[in-house]
Amino acid sequence: MEEVKIGVYVCWCGTNIAKMVDVEEVAKEIGKYPNVVIARDYKYMCSDPGQELIINDIKKLGLNRVVVSACSPRIHELTFRKALEKAGLNPYLFEMANIREQDSWVHTDRVEATRKAKDLVRAALHKVLFHEPLSERTVEINPATLVIGGGIAGMSAALEIAGAGKKVYLVEKMESLGGMMARLDLTFPGLESARDNLQLTVARVMKDPNIEVYTNTVIRDIFGYVGNFECIISPNFKEDISLQFGNVVVATGLKTFDPSVIPEYKYGQLPDIYTSHEFEGMLTSGRIVRKDGRPPENVAIIHCVGSRNRNYHEYCSRVCCMTALKYANQLRSALPEANIFEIYADMRAMGKGCEELYSLSSRRKIMFLMFDQQGPLPVIRKAGSRDKCDYLITLQEKLSGQDIEVPADMVILMVGTEAREDAKEVAHQVGISMCGNAFFIEKHPKLDPVATTTNGVYIVGSCQGPKDIPDSISQARAAAARILGTIAQGSVTVEVTTANVNEELCCGCQTCIKVCPYTAISFKEEEKVSFVNEILCKGCGTCGSACPTGAITCRHFTDRQLINQIEGLMRMDVEPELKEV
Amino acid sequence: MENKPKLKLAVYWGAACGGCCVSVLDVHEALFDVIAAADLVFWPIALDFKYKDVEAMPDKHIDITLFNGAVRNSENENMARLLRQKSNILIAYGSCAHMGGIPGLANMYDKASLFRRVYIESESTVNENGTLPQPRYEVPEGVLTIPEFYNDVRTLDQVVPVDYYLPGCPPQTERLVEVFMAVVKGEALPPPGSVVGAREKTLCEECDRKKSDNKVIKKIYRPWEIYDDGETCFLEQGVICLGPATRGGCGARCIKGNSPCRGCYGPPSESIDPGAKMMSALATMIDAKEPEEVEKILEDLADPSGTFYRCSIPASLLRRKMIT
Repeated sequence: MEEVKIGVYVCWCGTNIAKMVDVEEVAKEIGKYPNVVIARDYKYMCSDPGQELIINDIKKLGLNRVVVSACSPRIHELTFRKALEKAGLNPYLFEMANIREQDSWVHTDRVEATRKAKDLVRAALHKVLFHEPLSERTVEINPATLVIGGGIAGMSAALEIAGAGKKVYLVEKMESLGGMMARLDLTFPGLESARDNLQLTVARVMKDPNIEVYTNTVIRDIFGYVGNFECIISPNFKEDISLQFGNVVVATGLKTFDPSVIPEYKYGQLPDIYTSHEFEGMLTSGRIVRKDGRPPENVAIIHCVGSRNRNYHEYCSRVCCMTALKYANQLRSALPEANIFEIYADMRAMGKGCEELYSLSSRRKIMFLMFDQQGPLPVIRKAGSRDKCDYLITLQEKLSGQDIEVPADMVILMVGTEAREDAKEVAHQVGISMCGNAFFIEKHPKLDPVATTTNGVYIVGSCQGPKDIPDSISQARAAAARILGTIAQGSVTVEVTTANVNEELCCGCQTCIKVCPYTAISFKEEEKVSFVNEILCKGCGTCGSACPTGAITCRHFTDRQLINQIEGLMRMDVEPELKEV
Repeated sequence: MENKPKLKLAVYWGAACGGCCVSVLDVHEALFDVIAAADLVFWPIALDFKYKDVEAMPDKHIDITLFNGAVRNSENENMARLLRQKSNILIAYGSCAHMGGIPGLANMYDKASLFRRVYIESESTVNENGTLPQPRYEVPEGVLTIPEFYNDVRTLDQVVPVDYYLPGCPPQTERLVEVFMAVVKGEALPPPGSVVGAREKTLCEECDRKKSDNKVIKKIYRPWEIYDDGETCFLEQGVICLGPATRGGCGARCIKGNSPCRGCYGPPSESIDPGAKMMSALATMIDAKEPEEVEKILEDLADPSGTFYRCSIPASLLRRKMIT
């Protein structure tokens, strides 16, 4: 039995924490607790000197538990675990108290925020007492990769991985590769042929001996874990095939917004109102004409349809403004005499060459009219018999401050983009999360933009959020680099905070089996007990809370640890027990 | 055995129904073995002893005391302290001493509301002056006292340190005899604080009913609302059974009588709060997608606290309902 010696480190995070929490006071107060051998505050705990502080204290003072009170464990838990490891201490004898995201960033009263910080640190202190050393495990990586989605993002990832000599299975739901890009005529801002570029890519994919392409194919089921996934696919909806792979790239893309839900635009009610994608088809066919065959004399292009509007989608769909300018330019070339109106809310010309396209367009006799996205939307109505146009669009023009009427024979609605209907199904299959808009969530918005919280699963292209072609390709190649990195290592560290069944206590009620989202639990008929496959287990804890007997323990989140943590938070002064390390 | 000094055995009750004492009587012919090995030095239900007899004993005079019943009033508490002082081994005998038991359900109320209901509002009571029990009352002949009724029901170990727990409502007599004979034979005793006379595994393990991994509940039934097929797991028929969260050792007596488990044997060693464990488990069985559907199914769950914590409110994490 070794005495528990805890080191507590309170981080300032520059001024991020220190401006709202009296970090010195927190360290002073926590330093009084039994078993706390040292309590320090420091400007940046995650910095090298900050980590050195911990390492030196472990070595000099013989610490056997460490609490860092700083930012979210999602950001730096791993950093500090590694510091413990460097000092020769098991990395799991560590607990983090989040006094930034859960405290300093969300409060305005310094006294209360300081009190809350003490509570959070005390909770961590109570929990870490019951932490047990855990040992990490590694698994071999299957060098093959599954890419879901055969659009430009999926194909780019596949080519990059295959280019390094590794096997890729590319699965596409539709009959042919290409995705959204296959529906484009020209790309912005250079007005190059989308088709030429795409066909080049498709041809490379089809010729690559390392890429197995399955079109017209849906994935029935994916199971496994990083390094060792398996899936069942039904090519052409016929026989089932099983594929084995070590990593997954999700490149399922997005879909376009359906404008018929916006009453002002009368889409589907009046004949010559087109979505941008329908118009793209018209451009590809080479004939810009009304339904009755006559070329339009007035063309209006309305921006932000379904985007940046609280009634539809709050986010910006990113590609529509530049696409609209592309249309205006194509229209100007095709119909030199026509009146062209760009009815926009704000012109987003972000990106290389885009502002230049905007300024070029403004010199080509294109009329720009602005409306207020917060105010009433422009309204399209059928023109009267005496008007020299088919439709009239009324809007409050923002720059002039006047109500004006715009004539139109053809209206192009720049529809926004949104997550696909099957996004939820995909997310469930690969075990990743979705944001409120049903786009997939990356592991870290800044520092880890293509990985997900599920090891071995990466998201690229517009399934993560609206994106243009170069951004999608960059992400695809970034994910490919990450995957090739793990393949080169040959093995990867897997979750150690898994569930475990104490067979002495398991009564065989089988409550746990159906609740496991990873099908990691099976029933051993002979012994009449449940069994957790700890490689499949992701440590979600569902079985542990469902188990009525207490036979299932979720490592690092045991009932004892959590109840003690709550008691710490509730300021119940429980005598810290001595624990063997 | 002849030459050994006889063990001194005491049995006492706190807030109890008497069933535990009856379970001691139920040793039947094994009584001869017990009497051959032990002298009963205190057992008010069966033999005439007074408090002063116990008070007169030297400390640790009694080898084993079986204390049944919860601690509800000052008399229960005083006797618990006295018997702790006079006993070598103090056993919390039965669900009430172990976890609070049925009397512990009173922790869903406070003293004032209980007194109001029992002494004033109950249908069979006539109490025009609203007289309530007083611990001390002066009459011309002197002062009358009765024990003070506490606000909370407590388990025995919330009042004095307890050596062993022998669970059950009441404990199965065979288990008592086994434990007793183990002491008589001088077998190695388990570490203090252990539950004895019960299994480590929960009841499902010894229950003969057919179980599957497909426990789905679309509707909750009380036992009298359904024709039990006598073979299928109660939970799989929609009847709340605490078997999965309750130690075995009782021989599944209730189940064999076609009644679901009520949890009297208490939680296994790693379970901190059996009611919470069972509620979490049940939550995974409710077969509904929408929150409204879940609510609707749960409407049929009559008396949740009395179902999940029938025998264990005082021993639960929360110990009682907060009454403000």
